[in-house]
Amino acid sequence: MTVELFRDFWWLMFPIFGMVMAVLGMAREARAEDEVIARARRELEQRQ
Amino acid sequence: MTFAEFFASYWWLMFPIFGMFLAAMGVFQDDARSTKAMDLIRTYVNQGKDPPPELLQMVAQDAESARGGAPSEHGRAWSFIVFAALSAGLGTGYYFVRAEDWAFAFLIGAVATGVMAVGALFLLVFGRKS
Repeated sequence: MTVELFRDFWWLMFPIFGMVMAVLGMAREARAEDEVIARARRELEQRQ
Repeated sequence: MTFAEFFASYWWLMFPIFGMFLAAMGVFQDDARSTKAMDLIRTYVNQGKDPPPELLQMVAQDAESARGGAPSEHGRAWSFIVFAALSAGLGTGYYFVRAEDWAFAFLIGAVATGVMAVGALFLLVFGRKS
C-alpha cells in the first residue's frame, strides 16, 4: 500500500516542500518582527 | 474505506486547507504584533521620545499590507509570469492525465491560475502606474 501510494503521489512532495518553506518563511519573518519589538521595548526600559 | 482510498479521494483538499490555515495564522499574528507595536509607539510618544525608525517602518509596512497596498509594476509583471507559468504547467499536466478520474484537479488548478494570470495582466496594463 505504501509503495502504491508513493508511486501515485510522489509528485506531491514538491508542493508539500513549498508549503513547508512558506511556513518556515512566515515563522522567520515573525521572529524578526518580534525581535524589533523586543529591542524597542528594551531601549525604552533602559532610557527610563 | 482505507487510508489509501481516503487519501486518493481527498488529497487535493490539503491545498485549500493549508491556504486557509496560513491566511488565518497570518491575520492573527499580524494583528497581535501590530497591537503590540502601536502600544509601544504610544508609550514612546507619551514619554516624549522618538520611537525607533525600524519599529515605525514595521508598522507602516503592516498598515500598507492590511490596506492591500498596490504592488509595483515589477511585482505585477512577476505575478503575471508566475500565474501564467502555473496555469501552463497545470494545463500541460491535465493534458497528459486527462483520461484519469482525478484529472479534474489539474483542470481546476489550470483554470484558477489562468484567471489569476489574466487578472494580473489586466492590472499590469490598466492599473495605476507607480
